[in-house]
Amino acid sequence: MKATDVLEHIKDRLGDAVHEAYMQVRKVGVSKRERYHIWVKIDRKKIRDAVNCLAEIQPYPHLCVISGYDDGDNVVLVYHFVINYETKKEAISVNFSVHLPKNDLCIDTITDLIPGALITEREKIEMLGVDFIGLEDKRRVFLPDDFPEGVYPWRRDEKGPEKMLHKLYEVGDRE
Amino acid sequence: MSVVYEVPVGPVHPALKEPVAVKCYIEGEEVVDVDVILGQNHRGIEWIGMNRDNPVQSLRMASRVCGICTNVHPLSLVQAVEAAADIEVPERADYIRAIMLEVDRIHSHLLWAGVAAHELGFDTLLHYTWKFREEVMDLAEYISGNRVTFEMEMYGGVRRDIPPEKYPKIIKAMNYYEAKFEKLVEMFLNDKTIALRTVGVGVLSREEALKLCLVGPTTRARGVKKDVRVDLPTMAYADLDIEPVTPDIYRDEVVGDVYDNIVVRLFEVKQSIDIIRQCLDQMPNGPILAEEKLPKLLNMLKKASGEGFGLTEAPRGEVVHYVKLKEMETFYAWKIRASTYNNIPAWEPMLIGAQIADIPIIVASIDPCLSCTNRAVVLDGGKEKVLSHEDLHRLSVQKTRRLIRYGK
Amino acid sequence: MGINAFKRALWAFHVNTGSCNGCDIEIIAALTPRYDAERFGIKLVGSPRHADVLLVTGPVTRQMAPALKRIYEQMADPKAVIVVGNCGISGGVFHESYNLVGPVDNIIPVDVYVPGCAARPEAIIYGVVKAWEKLEKVYGAEGG
Repeated sequence: MKATDVLEHIKDRLGDAVHEAYMQVRKVGVSKRERYHIWVKIDRKKIRDAVNCLAEIQPYPHLCVISGYDDGDNVVLVYHFVINYETKKEAISVNFSVHLPKNDLCIDTITDLIPGALITEREKIEMLGVDFIGLEDKRRVFLPDDFPEGVYPWRRDEKGPEKMLHKLYEVGDRE
Repeated sequence: MSVVYEVPVGPVHPALKEPVAVKCYIEGEEVVDVDVILGQNHRGIEWIGMNRDNPVQSLRMASRVCGICTNVHPLSLVQAVEAAADIEVPERADYIRAIMLEVDRIHSHLLWAGVAAHELGFDTLLHYTWKFREEVMDLAEYISGNRVTFEMEMYGGVRRDIPPEKYPKIIKAMNYYEAKFEKLVEMFLNDKTIALRTVGVGVLSREEALKLCLVGPTTRARGVKKDVRVDLPTMAYADLDIEPVTPDIYRDEVVGDVYDNIVVRLFEVKQSIDIIRQCLDQMPNGPILAEEKLPKLLNMLKKASGEGFGLTEAPRGEVVHYVKLKEMETFYAWKIRASTYNNIPAWEPMLIGAQIADIPIIVASIDPCLSCTNRAVVLDGGKEKVLSHEDLHRLSVQKTRRLIRYGK
Repeated sequence: MGINAFKRALWAFHVNTGSCNGCDIEIIAALTPRYDAERFGIKLVGSPRHADVLLVTGPVTRQMAPALKRIYEQMADPKAVIVVGNCGISGGVFHESYNLVGPVDNIIPVDVYVPGCAARPEAIIYGVVKAWEKLEKVYGAEGG
């Protein structure tokens, strides 16, 4: 499936849930071969549908990772997929972004559709304070157990890690 | 079950790597459940990167995400930023980047082969492979000036050129590896003991590899032809014709065990030699940087807004970086994902049903980039006993000796 | 210089407190045939209780700080601590973070610093030799 068809397929399947969609084309090498990145902003309730619609193109779409950042009133999660892998130079990167309002930070888990999403979902819980509905294993991954509750390192608001900062070059009173 | 230990003390054999804990629940000799505890190495790099003064400082951080795949993280980052800020990279830089990536791959795969030999109790082979590896370290130093952190990348190109007078030495190093390759294959793949320890151990099916979104040699050893260099090529790979390496290159069929992992990694060394030769042959002329003046570049990045996603095939698998620029001094968002992050879930299906003595080699088979303190919790009559890496290593060595002596 | 404090070979224990692996692989490279520190009897061991020298890499993450202290206490006297790499000395590129509590000398006393990012194998061997000399000076007079 060509990149433009993939984009049409997504728009077709998700309908009104698609808020914004565009395609980024990068030309690489001497041959100036085109490489496609599709960016789609969707409704957060439709994330599972988005995964299913990719699975129609290729079973087991490859989830690279879920990125996330603090965008003022919202926390934004970006789901990065690659489809058409196992081909020769035909793969396409598809990225779904969802906006979660800070007073209601939750989204459906996709671990039952893609078991490989477990670690990355757990990481979003501890780093951004996002809740994944239906996720059983919500333990921390990277932060230590004694790390204070309610501090989320990637947040830019009052829940950020500012209080915990330690400047390694400023340690004084050395013997 | 409560956490049994809290000290990831590495009896870190030189097997390098950062601390990680793998808790294996064991009945008798058999692993029944597995839990992985990460994070002893969490430095908060993404936060640091988002709070630096400018993107170039963050780029230097990216090299220090990992000292083994040191060229891969900056490569993914620059690709993400170039996409976000819409910077066109000169062709020559694309080729130099590919060469450095393959140099990195040769050293990393040889390093892994040595570690795998050590985990099996075959230390002579460890020393032999590492001696063999020094040649490519010399080459890296010759090209970049550094043995470990190459620091070749810059937004919009590379910092150092490879002038034609440096080609002969690169070709000489490639000849050296080509000459030694047969011997390496002989030692690893025709050795009876290594075969006894790795054939049929840590088997994972193609289906599971796809479900868990595994990457790199770990997935190719299961017959999945996922390789960013082939399916979603960047840099010089867009011009090259390469095939993903799968175990059927050497074996009749794909089994998906640890032996297949060795096959894939060794033959990828050969593939890397080929790629470096092709890149040198086809190297285009021209500039190596899109924007040579640093203040101008920084200004351009400061004004840019947009998002970008960079993927690179690291020695251990795909590494991805996501960057969002928003007309400010530094990154608005930065996410790093190393290959081991995706490969860790593979331990569970691979370890369950395995023997205690096989834990080290299975854990090492994915080439974990944040591991070494592999500790196992043994459930012995309901009582918990913690085995250290040293104990595990001893058990592994004992099994190898037993196999040599009695063949079972 | 006569060797009094150590009548036998010097053994080292390596602990990674959150480094990037760069210095760690150089430590092993120092032991493998090109540099071959083992010919001097310098050897990595699997337990801090067997070690004379502690090699520390990394800027010390929050989780590793208590572990590092404990490892230091487990070592028998006379002992020396060597920090390998810039990040363990001053933080290096990781100079400010929420999950780092280092540098190493903020946690345990350090005898020798080996700078470099990453430190070269030659530098690491030189650092070990310096630590050896220091141990001789401090304990050698006592006759071991």
